[in-house]
Amino acid sequence: MEELPKKELVLKQAKLAINFGAGVLAFASIWVFQFTIFPDFFKPEPAIVEFVPDTTGPVFETYFELDSADIENGIHVPTGLIVDDGCQDVMVTCGACHSLDLVTQNRATRDGWKEIIVWMQETQKLWDLGEKEVVILDYLAKNYAPENTGRRKNIENIEWYNL
Amino acid sequence: MSKKDNRRTFLSKTAIATLAALVGSKVVFAENFPDELEPVGLQPDQVNDKLPGKSDQLKILNSKPWSAETPPHLLDDEVTPAHLMFVRNNGIPPEEIDVHKWTLTIDGESVVKPMTFGIKELMDNFEHYSKHLTIECGGNGRAEFNPPAKGNQWGLGGVACTKWTGVRLRDVLNKVGMKGDAVYIGYYGADTHLSGDPDKVVISRGVPIKKALEDETLIAWAMNNEAIPVMNGYPLRLVCGGWPASTSGKWLTRISVRNKEHDGAKMEGQSYRVPKFPVPPGTKVPDDQMKIIESMPVKSIITYPKTGAVIPKGGSFEVRGHAWAGDLKVKKMEISIDFGVNWRSCELKEPINRLAWQSWKIDVKLPEFGYYEIWARATDEKGVAQPMVLPGWNPKGYLNNASHRIAVRQG
Repeated sequence: MEELPKKELVLKQAKLAINFGAGVLAFASIWVFQFTIFPDFFKPEPAIVEFVPDTTGPVFETYFELDSADIENGIHVPTGLIVDDGCQDVMVTCGACHSLDLVTQNRATRDGWKEIIVWMQETQKLWDLGEKEVVILDYLAKNYAPENTGRRKNIENIEWYNL
Repeated sequence: MSKKDNRRTFLSKTAIATLAALVGSKVVFAENFPDELEPVGLQPDQVNDKLPGKSDQLKILNSKPWSAETPPHLLDDEVTPAHLMFVRNNGIPPEEIDVHKWTLTIDGESVVKPMTFGIKELMDNFEHYSKHLTIECGGNGRAEFNPPAKGNQWGLGGVACTKWTGVRLRDVLNKVGMKGDAVYIGYYGADTHLSGDPDKVVISRGVPIKKALEDETLIAWAMNNEAIPVMNGYPLRLVCGGWPASTSGKWLTRISVRNKEHDGAKMEGQSYRVPKFPVPPGTKVPDDQMKIIESMPVKSIITYPKTGAVIPKGGSFEVRGHAWAGDLKVKKMEISIDFGVNWRSCELKEPINRLAWQSWKIDVKLPEFGYYEIWARATDEKGVAQPMVLPGWNPKGYLNNASHRIAVRQG
């Protein structure tokens, strides 16, 4: 009478071992599946969010000093910008999207520069400049103002050479 | 990529590239696909670290996005060499380009059924054409406007005339099938917006269907018998000669046939538009009073000598250059050495084909010691000539075709 329970016990132990083994196998395969084949499988689908530019304003909130070694005759050589109040704000704000050549080669009145900013905000994803706008406009209107060149300028900067 | 680079470097370091250029028959055809569709490499003396495939003699106006113009004295060749062709990008060019996988889709309201072609399919299924086409940036000459107009301050060198090889847009559109209500086409390219937004279209302009169906309007895969330079639209470009270069879509992936005026990026607002009527300088013109620029105006450049030449006493010298007039031909080319008092006619060549610029030349002798300016004036076949001062002011500074002037002196 005792042999039967013993057999059952062995059977039970065997079943237990098999179940355990199967469990380990299943877990291991899920592990492999998840971590090596589809690492992102159990992560939630990323929500489709419309692209939002950084609206927190300039990348560097804190004022930074220009390296004096970079300044020659009042020009910040690496960027070409005229060194004056607001120069750093122009550097980080305008330079975030386009080359600063686009600043230094243009001339406009304060209203003109304001229009350019509005155009970039309306069509080119420029963010709200907040309190920096005044600083930037002051800088641009003062340093990159138009000169009246008339209907045609004289030919300038001629480098003479013998033909 | 590096393998290709190596091969190119090898080629440019040996005389093979030069030899091939001399032999000159290396047109990219389907049987060579894709070996000959590698981006154009550089001669060692033309390397510009900053601007791939371009001469370091180009004047860089902007590095993000890239814009660079050619000094006029470097435009002396009748066919502008690839490394001297100007660059005007609106966004960031695509980086990983696989010519095997590149496709062009023709779609839009006015196609019967959209179709997509690989580059090889275009090569295999349509007749090939080569055309020399003048491409000029709409804002070429902007730097001179007063009050100034915003944007890249182009001098004279936003223009080139190169040989383009590809298939006619007309043949492709006919294969796809157009509906009767087609009025405009608009292109799309693979460049990406500066803001980093992957969904924002950089530029998507186009031309009326009449221009699209012209013999010279090409979908090109080669320029000057080589692959198109990366900065000029590699591997596929729409080319509409004689119209603002912005109508010649670079890195071309899609052309939509529209049943209305195309409304893509930089078609609307003030972009590539001028006032419908002449305005005083500095006028704010509302959007609805602006019209799209179509054909570029008559214009010429002096490519020799370079400005600043000092001529020995009694010496004569050749003055030469090119002239073009958008959709039209140039019928007369003149120069003046006395500030426009007297004009002399130059020898003017026929264009290689329609919409190619025309070369001109004349021998000049300065009468006495002193300072002179040589002014150049072209007249188109309708009798319209270049102005000596700035033409009609417009808010965005387009279409400055004022006479090119160089300074010379008799010593």
